[in-house]
Amino acid sequence: MKLSDADFEILRDFIYNTCGMYFTIQKKYFVESRLTRRMEKLNIKQHGEYFRFLKGGATGSVELKQLLNDLTTNETYFFRNPPQLKALETQLLPEVATPKEKIGFRKLRIWSAGSSSGEEAYTLAMLLLEKRDSLLKNWIFDIVGTDINDEVLAKAKEGVYNAYSVRHVPDYYMRKYFKKESNDRFVLAPEVKKLVTFQHLNLYDDNKMIFMKTFDFIFCANVLIYFDTASKSKVVQHFYNNLQPYGYFFVGQSESLHGVSDKFKTVHFPGGFAYKK
Amino acid sequence: MENNSKMSKAQQMVKGIHELPTIPEIATRVLDMFDKPNVELEELAETILVDQVMASRVIKIVNSPFFKPMHEIKSLKRALIYLGFRQIRHIALTCSIIDAFEGKTGVFDVKTFWEHSFGVGVVSKIIAQRIRYPETEKAYIVGIIHDIGEVFLSYYMKDNFQQVVDEISGTNRSFIEVEDKLLGTTHCEVGYCLAKNWNFPPEYCDVIAHHHAPQNATCDPTLSAIVNLADLFCSVRQLDYGGREWISFNLAEEPSWKILKEFAPNFIDLDVERFCYELDERVPEVQDLVGSLFEGMIKK
Repeated sequence: MKLSDADFEILRDFIYNTCGMYFTIQKKYFVESRLTRRMEKLNIKQHGEYFRFLKGGATGSVELKQLLNDLTTNETYFFRNPPQLKALETQLLPEVATPKEKIGFRKLRIWSAGSSSGEEAYTLAMLLLEKRDSLLKNWIFDIVGTDINDEVLAKAKEGVYNAYSVRHVPDYYMRKYFKKESNDRFVLAPEVKKLVTFQHLNLYDDNKMIFMKTFDFIFCANVLIYFDTASKSKVVQHFYNNLQPYGYFFVGQSESLHGVSDKFKTVHFPGGFAYKK
Repeated sequence: MENNSKMSKAQQMVKGIHELPTIPEIATRVLDMFDKPNVELEELAETILVDQVMASRVIKIVNSPFFKPMHEIKSLKRALIYLGFRQIRHIALTCSIIDAFEGKTGVFDVKTFWEHSFGVGVVSKIIAQRIRYPETEKAYIVGIIHDIGEVFLSYYMKDNFQQVVDEISGTNRSFIEVEDKLLGTTHCEVGYCLAKNWNFPPEYCDVIAHHHAPQNATCDPTLSAIVNLADLFCSVRQLDYGGREWISFNLAEEPSWKILKEFAPNFIDLDVERFCYELDERVPEVQDLVGSLFEGMIKK
């Protein structure tokens, strides 16, 4: 069903204000098609009626999660956020590693919070491996992926992916770190797998969160959008505490921490930003 | 400007060029006209119509998403009524600068360069509106022309400037840093001399000279800060040029941010993330505008 610009803006602002994710006008047709899918499921004919449903009480917040799942495609893949990866590679990694190298503390700790089936954590592992002959010679890498869902964690530990997951892997990395067993089965190299540990973690669990200490970088993409503002603030405060004093925190593409935390400094770089402790 | 050696070097450079691009006579006449009281719309339209290229550019600009008319405006007279006298002055100036440098691009990719320039214009206007700066059109135009010094260097100092571009390529270094090192001056001073040479209004010269250090601006630090901030945002939101590997900034540390906060204390509440995403939305608009203004000039 055709979504007018005005209705698109209503939905965009509602999602931004409740979840902290911004859909640009260029994504209008995508949003329209996902919205139509949801409305057909619910047998709702008018956008106005759907918006009222979405905004109303408990059933609305369940529906909002469904809609967000559809809008974020609820699927992760390797090399998902190129501007972020480039920032890490070219600037932030050297910025963090150089002073540590000077004092001989050659260890990097990275956390992929809400790691799902591991694509982000493993992408980071590959980037670090590529620095092993230069910036990160003789360094120890400790990458942790956490998720609340044991099923996706099992998949992450297995390290076998389908064509969709690897569709943005550059050829160089593909040849070096994957074994293609069929057109839809790609097995990750053991040297990448061994850099990452996966564990079950509920980000709401304060008792566990306080033990996730001393990370240099924390990534948390498309997770906080499902939390209400109070929980978001609490979780982000944990991330802040869990970072090293010079650490960086990243959220997903088109996400925003505005109004959630004013402790971080926003550092802008081409195509994105990072939050610096 | 306090840095005399860079300034005298820039003056020498600009004076050394004998066939310096001229602002078309027509533009000067349009600009003059605004200083006279009681100029009739008819008279203004007739003056602009003498220059068909300028007339058609004015019509293109007025129909761009930036000015958003309800219906397409086809005649110059309607365009003048829609835009009003003050804006025409600015647009005439922009069109003349485009004309002056037509075909003179040198080292730069003309499309990327003007996309950045118009991007800075659009973002300057948005910032000006947010902080309730009284002259939003001025912010738009001065945003567009802030880097004219680069165009001069790129065309008239081709070889030296190529070295600058090569040295920057793939590094984190900025134009001003490398220009200063290799040329003994920067596009800020060169642009300033050029703008003086063309008798641009003093506040324009001021911004051109100080858009990288708005705290040093003499006429209007707020205007320089607006353009500086717009320039920073464009450089990280797909409207950059120059091949730098990396650029980053933290608003809280930028002098322009401080200046704008003083001008409009509520600016500190700006949702910067959303602001960036909204700028991303405007990028295709800017590219379309530049594409249509420079039709034929830009080789695809």
